[in-house]
Formats: sequence, C-alpha cells, structure tokens
Amino acid sequence: MSYAYLFKYIIIGDTGVGKSCLLLQFTDKRFQPVHDLTIGVEFGARMITIDGKQIKLQIWDTAGQESFRSITRSYYRGAAGALLVYDITRRDTFNHLTTWLEDARQHSSSNMVIMLIGNKSDLEARRDVKKEEGEAFAREHGLIFMETSAKTAANVEEAFINTAKEIYQKIQDGVFDINNESNGIKLGPQQSRSQGGMNQAGGGGDSQSGGCC
Amino acid sequence: MAFLQWRRFNFFDKEVVKDPQDEQVFSKLKDINISACAFGRGQIIVGDFEGQLYFINRQLKLSGFKAYEIRVSHLFQMKQHSILISIGEDEEGVNPLIKVWNLDKVDKMGNPSCTRIARASPSSKGSRVSCLTVHENLNNMAVGFEDGSVVLFKGDVTRDRHSKIKIIHQDTCPITGLAFKSSGKNAVLFIATGFKIISINVSVKDKEVKSELDDHGCPIGCSVMSDQSQDFQFVIGRQDAVYFYQSDGRGPCLAFEGEKLQLHWFRGYLVIVGKESKAMRSSTIGNQTIQMNIVTVYDIQNKFIAYSAPIPDVIDVLCEWGSLFVLAGDRKLYHLQEKDTQTKLEMLFKKNLYVLAINLAKGHSYDEDGLIEIFRQYGDHLYSKGDHDGAIQQYVKTIGKLEASYVIRKFLDAQRIHNLTSYLQALHKAQLATEDHTTLLLNCYTKLKDVSKLDEFIMTKDREVDFDVETAIKVCRQAGYYKHALFLAKKHSQHDWYLKIQLEDHKDYQEALEYIGKLEFEATENNVKKYGKILVSEVPQQTTDLLKRLCTDYKPSDKPLVDARTLEGEIPKILKANAEEFIHIFVNNSKKLTEFLEHMVRLQPGSNSLVYNTLLELYLHDYVHEQNKTVQESKGKITLDLLQNQDAGYDIDQALVLCQMNDFKPGILYLYEKAKLYQQILRYHMEHNEYTHIIESCKRFGTADPHLWVQALSYFARKQENCKPQIMEVLSHIDKKNLLPPLLVIQTLAHNSTATLAVVKDYIIRRLQVESDQIAEDERLIKQYKEETEKTRKQIEELKTSAKIFQVSKCSVCNHPLELPSVHFLCQHSYHQHCFESYAENDSECPACMPENRKLLDIIRAQEQSKDLHEQFHHQLERASDGFSVVADYFGRGVFNKVTLITDPPGKGRTSESLIDNSLQRDLLLAQQSLNPFDE
Repeated sequence: MSYAYLFKYIIIGDTGVGKSCLLLQFTDKRFQPVHDLTIGVEFGARMITIDGKQIKLQIWDTAGQESFRSITRSYYRGAAGALLVYDITRRDTFNHLTTWLEDARQHSSSNMVIMLIGNKSDLEARRDVKKEEGEAFAREHGLIFMETSAKTAANVEEAFINTAKEIYQKIQDGVFDINNESNGIKLGPQQSRSQGGMNQAGGGGDSQSGGCC
Repeated sequence: MAFLQWRRFNFFDKEVVKDPQDEQVFSKLKDINISACAFGRGQIIVGDFEGQLYFINRQLKLSGFKAYEIRVSHLFQMKQHSILISIGEDEEGVNPLIKVWNLDKVDKMGNPSCTRIARASPSSKGSRVSCLTVHENLNNMAVGFEDGSVVLFKGDVTRDRHSKIKIIHQDTCPITGLAFKSSGKNAVLFIATGFKIISINVSVKDKEVKSELDDHGCPIGCSVMSDQSQDFQFVIGRQDAVYFYQSDGRGPCLAFEGEKLQLHWFRGYLVIVGKESKAMRSSTIGNQTIQMNIVTVYDIQNKFIAYSAPIPDVIDVLCEWGSLFVLAGDRKLYHLQEKDTQTKLEMLFKKNLYVLAINLAKGHSYDEDGLIEIFRQYGDHLYSKGDHDGAIQQYVKTIGKLEASYVIRKFLDAQRIHNLTSYLQALHKAQLATEDHTTLLLNCYTKLKDVSKLDEFIMTKDREVDFDVETAIKVCRQAGYYKHALFLAKKHSQHDWYLKIQLEDHKDYQEALEYIGKLEFEATENNVKKYGKILVSEVPQQTTDLLKRLCTDYKPSDKPLVDARTLEGEIPKILKANAEEFIHIFVNNSKKLTEFLEHMVRLQPGSNSLVYNTLLELYLHDYVHEQNKTVQESKGKITLDLLQNQDAGYDIDQALVLCQMNDFKPGILYLYEKAKLYQQILRYHMEHNEYTHIIESCKRFGTADPHLWVQALSYFARKQENCKPQIMEVLSHIDKKNLLPPLLVIQTLAHNSTATLAVVKDYIIRRLQVESDQIAEDERLIKQYKEETEKTRKQIEELKTSAKIFQVSKCSVCNHPLELPSVHFLCQHSYHQHCFESYAENDSECPACMPENRKLLDIIRAQEQSKDLHEQFHHQLERASDGFSVVADYFGRGVFNKVTLITDPPGKGRTSESLIDNSLQRDLLLAQQSLNPFDE
C-alpha cells in the first residue's frame, strides 16, 4: 500500500502499564485481558489518514522490564514519536516517568514528539494518579497528554493520531528534516522522487509544493 | 521478579535416529570429518575435509563420491531444483572453487554430474569463503569472503556462460551471513558481518540499492531467513537477543539471552543452538570431551518455547523429511519429532492455556469443529472459575456449531442475564437466532430494564436485520415497549403491526392516519378498510380527507407530486379506490360520510350507484329530520339537484324507495317521470287528491301515454265530490284525441253519483254529431261506389254480349288517319301497326290504357302479397289505435279470397275483370269501415 509518509513510533513505560495492549487495540482493534510479558521489542503497523494524506505508522512496542532496557534503548533512535505510558492505578509507574523521559530524550532525536498516556482509564475505581497530575507533568515537560483505555478503546485511536498530527505539523513547519531517516520519518515511495529534486529548498517545507517531474 | 522468558513446553520428542535395517543407532557418519552439511529434496548432504560428498536418503543409506581433491567447505542445496552448489578446494592455497552439481543427472560412475566449475574469488588475491547463498530462481548467487567482500554471480547459476560477476560489497570485517529474499520481482540480499547488517536490492543490474539496517552484526551461522509466517525477515542472533530485519529497516527483537552458535528456521519455528550458559557442562564420551549445547525451538508466532534440550556439540541442524534432525558432535543424528496437534492442545488444556491453544490450533489450520471445541472448553473453564464475562466471549465464538441452548441454559440457571444478553446479541448478529432467541433476548432487555440496549438492538439504523421482526414486534408489544415495536414495524413495513399497535396500544390515531397516508396505494386501501371505522370515530376530519385522497388520485403523502417517471413522460397511473367500499366505515358519522360522498360525487361524476344511493339516503335523512322549514327546503333542493344530476348513477328503484320512505315528494315525482312511470305520477297525485296536478301531468305526459286521460276520467268520475270542471277538461282532451269510445265515456261517468248529464251533454252532442256526419259521408260513398260498380258491370255485359265496332279513324298515337295495317283494342283505342309496334311493350296490351291498368294490377298484387304476411298483420294490429280497421283492411285485401289473380295468365279480358274485383273489394272495405265505431 502506498503512503505519503512513514512515521516510526516507540511505546515506552514501566512493565504492565498496557503498552502491548494499546498497540493491539490500535492495530487489531481487540483487547486481550491476559497478555504475556513482552520479551524484547514487538512491532506493529497501521495506516492512518491525516489532512487527506495516507500515513503509515510503524510502532515499536518495547519491553518495560528493566533488564531489557539496553535492547530497547537502541530503538529510541529513529523514532519520530514516542508514547510514554503509565498506569493510572499504579503510582510507581507515574513516578518512573522522569527516568523514562530522560532516557528517551537522551537516546532519541531532539525533535521526537512525546505523548504522555495515562492508561487503564476504565479502572476509575482503582485510580491512583489524578488526571490533573498527569496534565501537570505533561505541561511541565512539554508533552501532549491523554488518558486512554486499551480495554474499552477509549482515546486509543486519538492518542496515536494526535501524535501523528503533531509530527505532521512539525514537518509542515520545517522542524523535521524529512530526508534524514534517523528522525523516524520516511517519505512514501511515490513521493521520494519528487522530493529528491528539492533537497536544497530546505529541510522540511510543504511536501505538496514539490514535483519537478 | 517476573519470569523473563517465554513459556516453555515440550512439543518435540527427542530420539536418537536408528538405522532401519539393523535397529542399531545410526552411526555411518562416525568416521567422517564433517565440514559442511546441507539438506533438501529428500536427502541430507554432508561434505568432509577430504573432499568427499555424502548423500543420506530417507532410508538412511549413505552414498558418496569425491567432489574435491582437498576438501569441501560450503554446501548449498536448492529447495526447488535438484541442484547442489558446493564450494571447496582442489589444490593447495586459497583458491576456492564453486561446483554446481545436477543431482538428477548421473554420470558413468553413478555420481551426480558437475555442470559448472568456477572460481569463487574474482580477484587474483584469494580469500577464504565464509558463506554462500543462492537465490531459488537460480539467477543470483552470492558468496561472502573472510576479507569482507561479497561477490554476486548474476545469470544462470548452473552454467558459466552469461554469468556476470560483481563485487557488490566490500568491507573490512568478514562476512558472516548471506540470505536472499524475494518479494515480487525484487530480490534483496541481506548481508551480515560481524558489525553490520546490510540489505542490497539486486534486482536491477548495476543499480544495486544498498541500505545499512543496523550497526550490530552477528557471528557466522547466527543468521537465517525466516519464512512466510514472519514475512521473510532476516533473523540474526546476538548475545543479548534475536533481531529481525526487513529489507528496509529493523523489525522486532526478542530478548533471548545467551551466546548463540547457530540459527535455523523450521516451519515457523526458530531453532537456536546456544552455548550452555551456566555451568559449562561437558560430558566425556570415550576419551573425547564433548561440549554440551542447548537446542531451543521457539514458536515465534505464538510466543513460546516449543522445545529445549541439551545436545552435545551440535554440528548442524537439518530440517528434512518433515522433521528436525540434529547432527551432534558424537556423530549421532537426533530426531526432534514434533508432537501432533491434539497432543499439544491437550498439554495446553491441562495448563488451562486456552488462548494459546486457540492460537496454536489456528496456526496449524485446525478444523473448525476442533476450534469450536476449544472455545467451548475455554468457555467452560472460565465459567467454572466464575468469569462469566470471559466465558460468554468464548461461547460467542462457538455460535453456529455449539447448540445454543447449552450456553443459554448455563447462564439462565446462573441468572446471568447480562451475559446471556450479549450471547443472544451475538447469536442474532450471526443470523442464527430463532424466534425463541429473539423473544428471550428482548425479554432479557426488558428484564434488565435496559432501554438503551433495547434501543440499540432495535433502533439502530442501517443495520441488517438479524432477528425475526415479527417476533420482536410481538415481544416488544407484550412488554409494553410500544415505541420500539412501532419503530420496528415502521422500519420493516409491517403496516399491520404498526397500525395495530398505534391504534390499539398507543391510541395515537393521528399518527396512525398519517402513517397510512404514506403507504402505497394498495396497503393504504386495505388498511383503511381495516381500521377505517375506528379512525373515523376518533379523527373524523383527517380520515375523511385521507379517504377523499384515496378515492380520487392517491399518492403516498411523502412522495413528491410529480415524480421522476412522470417527468420522463410516462403517464402516471391514477390509483384510486372505490368509494363505495368505504361507506360502511362511516357508521355513526353521517355528516362526514355526506362530506366524503359529496366530494366524490363532485370530483368523479359517474361513481358507483352505491355512492349516489347512500348520498341520497343521507340527504333524505337530513331532510326529514330537519325542523327548520327553510333549511329543509334548501336541503330538499340539494337532494333534488342530486337526483336531477345527469351523471348521478343512482339506482332508480332504490332511489324511489328511499324517496317514498322519506316522503320526499319532488323526488318521487322526478323519479317517476325519469322512469317514465306516468301512471305512477298520476296515481300519486290521485292519492293525494291534487286535481290540478292530475290535469297538469295528464297534459304533460298525455302525448306519451294517452291512457292517462282515461285514468284521469275514471278517477274524477269516481270522486264523490263535485269535480265538474276537471271532468269537463279531461273530456275535452279525450274528445280531442278521440281516446275513448263515447259509450265507454258514458259508462265511466255513470259510476259517478254526482256527475250530471250537463257535464257530458256537450260531449255527447258533439260526438253524436260527428257520428252522424260520418254515417252520412259513408252512405254517400257507398252510393257512389254502387253506381260505379253498376256502370262497370254494364260495360262488362256489353263487352260480353254485343259486338264492338272499331270506328276510330285516327291512330291513338300519331293522331293521323288510320291506315292498314292497324291494331284495334276493345278499349276503343286503335293504332297503326307500326305505331303500335313502336310504342307497345307487348302485343297484348293497349299502350294507352296500360299504365292505368298496371297501376291497378299492382295494387291488387300488393294486397295479395301482404295478406299472407301474418307477422306483419299482427304487428300492425298491435300498433294500430283501431284494431278493427286493420282487420277490415286485410279482409278487404282478400284474405279470404280463394282465387288469386296473379296465377292466371294475363289476357285482354282479364284486365277488366280485375277491375271489377277491385271495385267490389272497395265496397267491402267501406262496409267494414263503417263498422268501426262498434269495436271494443
């Protein structure tokens, strides 16, 4: 399937916060109550449409276990977006956010769009972290914030799409250099040729204005 | 600390391969110094350091030949062709040679024939080959060298000719792995070195696209190409994990720790040969120390370890004959036999790992029945654990196979209405619900008081109906969810139900009526017939309006006035119902009925008689019950208008009965007149003793039926009171038209006790006068005829007896003096012969007298002829005002004459005879006529 852009995402966060479930919900639209521990890094992809353009999302779902940290770290590089997930019923997962954020900032390109996600919003009764706290953390660190539920699919779609929108906006604003794949952005097969002609026109720019052929 | 590994199972049985012949452990490889292994096309191929190639077939028979002088270093067996590619050395030094063997072609010695020998290294400076791969299309072969270069052989691998050799990669560190991946027309070569993973698209010659996938590498043997189940990703094993690569980038990674020695791929399983990580266990066999390795089989798709066991010093893993064979350092072949699916599933069931079982079963393309059995078991398991929500999810998957009642009973017993509901919903979605299921589901909804769910189930638009609509309506209605029932009925055009509910339960007549108005013609007609009565009694005005529409030019109310078809020129069909069929529904509401019928009559002249009859009846009813005189009068006028309407097709008899019953005089009279029942008119007036009207109607209709006058006379005559003027008038009319013989007039009047002679005096005098005049006239005629007859008789006598003297001197034709020859007739006419011949039609008649004679003869003949026409006679008799004269006339024509003139041959004498007869008859005729007054 052809696409205009390919964005690479990475999902990070403590173990058991529901990273794999978020991915499963987003790519397969289903929920698996019993999910085995992620060993290493799993992979998912889905097409979305933003601004009338087909965008392919390639998502790496990383293991949250500390012992896999060294493996997962290598996946930060080359990701355009990151979903930083915590569990609203477990405060410790919220407390670890700073560490995750530092890790991400250190190993990724500086332009990476990070979305903070408070997952398991369906378990309101067991809530341990207030929404306001999440919002405050996001504001403080310049992240986008959203509470989701992989079980009920609430906000899952939005979380992924909003991140993509943010990245897309950054491309439009010329923040990203789309020709540098290490940013986690790739032009679609049919676009790369026309884009190749205007390399000099500046890193980003409107991809639509191109087309020398 | 979580268990950082996949679940471990034992899905393979390990056994040492035994020679089928002697049941001893297979040991034919015992003394072979193995350098390379390959497998495929039903055999295992082993190369050794002496340059020998050995083939082991399914029966474990070993055969071999010397392929290289010094040694074999690499082997590659094509999977789709019987072609083996080997690399080895024929001479000392670094000069690897590629040999291509066609295994199907055997040479004189019984060995495979070599089709090609080529130097592996393109450059003069030789380097050792580290790895070899060949594309299945036999057009690409890649050889990796220890000096870090990769050489691509393009063109037919089996032949020297047309082969292009190119170094497509040059690096410093040795090449550790090579693999081709073909996606469509693209062929991608993956290259692994100790420090890099690279992919090169080699499909376009000289335009290789190279991309670096990762900056980690892997040791030799630790890379493998996965199969379709993993999308042909290139897999490499490193100390920390196993990494997957697509041709354009990194894929997932699996953190299987430990030092890896070999990676193999077997039907979706990743087989890793690793070093024993903990204690470096080693066993001693004989005097040799053998390192122990761990062979682990991973199911990548389902994420579990299918098998793991230590095997001593693994040389290679061979995936042939549908199984895994491990060639171990002790030169034994270990067979890893995969257990059958059923066994595996049972193992999983024991551990209650149903999800995994399901995935596994799906992966092994387990049949549907088996899968459903798993779902059921899983469902039962969850149910027994009390996880009803989960259980129902599993049961839902069994829909279509598992008896629904099994599940339903389970949840009904447990009173888990909620779960039951979702099961039933799924059942409906699968279109497998029976009526009972629908009923049960709706009952669940109502029991849960879950209106929103009910809404969803019923009201969701654009959804296919997966339940029996009628049942749903019924249940909703019973449960009092009229709104839902209505919605359903409306959506599915169950007009009957809709109206039934709307009218009987909802009592929203207005709505029902509007609904009816939107239906197609036929449905509307039927429903109005059905529910008209109740509608009329509840919403008379609207119902009447609808009926008016229905009976004139009906179109559903939500349709545009002019539809597309009309615009295209098609003449719209006017649909209209028969008004008379709806009359009965207006029972008890005659006012509306009147309105309706008036409308119909106005718009559709020529409606059914029933319409008019009913309307008339209504009018009359109104008329009779109206107290106010003036209003009554105007109503009478309306009624009469209706009667007089030319188009009004009422039934006259019935109208008459109606008028009479209601005593509507103008109507009665009009109808009599219309029906030409003048007698009735007269009688009506007589009954009401309206003399002037009697006279008037006599005058009006007297011409049509003169008998009226007679009746009037007898009526007046019978009257006790004095009605002399009337009698006088009647008499004068009778007289004028000569309707009654005077004798009868007298007789009639004689009945009256009051009528005096004076009344009839004039009449009688006048009559008698006329009579006597007539008599006188007749007598005169008789006399005249008698005289004429006498005269003629005399003539005849004369002709008979005396001689006739022809003394005419002139010709009757030319008036010249007669000359001979001449012709003389008894009638005193004489002619020149030539004159006679030129004038006469025949020689027996006198041309001068002939026309007169002819005329008479014709008359006689006509009378003769007509006398036999009895039909005509009767007819005339019936029609004639005076029958006697007809009889007389016929008598005069000689009805009774025996002798007919026509039959006699014509002669001169006859002519005069007939004349006599004629005059005689005329006498008779006159005599008969005079008898006339005494007729009747």
